Amino acid sequence: MDVVFQIVANSIIAGSLYTLIASGFTLTYSTTKFFNITHGVMTAVGAYTVFFLGKILGMPLLLAIIVGVLFAGLLGWVLNYFIYQPLRKKNASQLSLLVASLGAFTAIQACISLAFSSQFQTISHTAVMQKTFSIVGASVTQIQLIIVASALISFVSLTFFLKKTRFGTAIRAVSDDEEVAKVIGINTDKVIGIAFFIASALAGLAGILIGFDSAIEPTMGLALLMKGVTASIVGGLTSIFGAVVGSFLVSFVENFGIFYTAGEWRDAIVFTLLIIFLMFRPNGIIRT
Amino acid sequence: MEYFLHLITLFAIYAILGLSLNLVVGYTGLLSATHAAFYGIGAYATALLLTVSGLNFFFAVFLGIILTSLIALSIGSVLSKFRDDYYALGSIGFCIITFSIFLNWQDLTRGPLGISGIPRPDIFGLSFSSSILFALLALIALGVTFLACRGIVRSSFGRVLKAIREDEGAIQVFGYRTHTYKLLVFVISAAMASVAGSLFATYVTYIDPSTFTILESVFILAIIILGGLANLRGSLIGALILILIPELLRFAGFPAEIAGQTRELVYGLMLLVLMLRRPQGLLGEYKL
Repeated sequence: MDVVFQIVANSIIAGSLYTLIASGFTLTYSTTKFFNITHGVMTAVGAYTVFFLGKILGMPLLLAIIVGVLFAGLLGWVLNYFIYQPLRKKNASQLSLLVASLGAFTAIQACISLAFSSQFQTISHTAVMQKTFSIVGASVTQIQLIIVASALISFVSLTFFLKKTRFGTAIRAVSDDEEVAKVIGINTDKVIGIAFFIASALAGLAGILIGFDSAIEPTMGLALLMKGVTASIVGGLTSIFGAVVGSFLVSFVENFGIFYTAGEWRDAIVFTLLIIFLMFRPNGIIRT
Repeated sequence: MEYFLHLITLFAIYAILGLSLNLVVGYTGLLSATHAAFYGIGAYATALLLTVSGLNFFFAVFLGIILTSLIALSIGSVLSKFRDDYYALGSIGFCIITFSIFLNWQDLTRGPLGISGIPRPDIFGLSFSSSILFALLALIALGVTFLACRGIVRSSFGRVLKAIREDEGAIQVFGYRTHTYKLLVFVISAAMASVAGSLFATYVTYIDPSTFTILESVFILAIIILGGLANLRGSLIGALILILIPELLRFAGFPAEIAGQTRELVYGLMLLVLMLRRPQGLLGEYKL
């Protein structure tokens, strides 16, 4: 039985990480309606910023983490402002936006490899918060509890932000219909820019947390992106709540899947789930 | 001289990949990122048949084509149900699943160790171990591929493909089974990629999974988008430019160990700039 509890615990931790990635992806998809591939590389951007500031320059960790999250957010905003926004203004198709983001993804990932080598790295000199707890037979580390807490806090605050603030209402208006939102006086460019900032910052946070939990490499973004995208599609690509449900479905399928097969098949298992959903439920499991 | 023959061989292999992908992306308007997978299946099939069973080269290439076509038929019958960005996403999923099989089905592929000692082709006692003969063989394969592609795009079959690209719904009204056409062009294109894989495997005599990642698909996409979608001569020019750029960088004094990342940086940025400034590429007749 213990092993089942451990798998459940691992699934919850992985699901929390996917929540951070998928809720941001859903946010940008619902406002701009294109698959933003660069979202994935933001995990590596956040993680390597902390690696550079904390491990190489010796900045206090907490400060490095805050800068890392903000830097990932800022880069997301910059990419939107200089690439995706001009393309949308030219009425470029979703496919050309996708190709542009694929190009940006490849270029940013290559820059990180050039600057920090493509090897696996640990994010800091000392192991941080690796104290282990035992919860109903499953062992979890402190940092893993922080991962779960971060996902919970960001889900609650993002939902509150979208439902209760003027700005959140503006984001939802843009998601429903960008043209109408523009007509009633919403500055849609600004709204989309901020959506990109929030989404990228959350992805950056996920990358940083992964760095403290295990290790980082420049190519970490693609598999995480595809899991986040799978979670978002399973969740219907319209609501943050859907993204959370999707994230946990993906992580449970993944972790129970590798229990019955072997660890190296985790990516293949998740993408098989993605293809099954694309075939049979392209609008996700939640009907809106 | 050896060096030029090397470049000619590489050019021929990538031009075959570009021409065949152009049938799917340029002429039919389906953004596929699975091409590296078929390139890899062809390479692995040939490598295994030649090293394990010592078959004749042509027979190994032929069996590689059959195997790749069968796999493309099953992947394509799933993908043909999708459109636009869902098609792209599903194709990325299949590329990662195939890579994961190359890497993890260790009994067959020897995983990350790869397959070494692949013999050069030996046809009726004529050995292609010299560079000049191999370059000639690759150029002949390229010529045949070019003529085949030209035949396809000028035929009535090719006109239906272009009609699917422009308006799939309208051509369905005329009674064409677009699903079958999309599937057929996908299989033809995969079979051509398989030949490129066979040439690659016997040319470098060693293959491992790292050649057949999603980044290789992005590279082939960059070739045809630079050269121009729905233009066969464009794919040749795109392959030539993208093969020469890393060599120029090397002459400009970039060290060899960062050559791979520099190549990724260059074609990533190139895709980005093309989407912003010239989405139809150099000679393109269609833009995404």
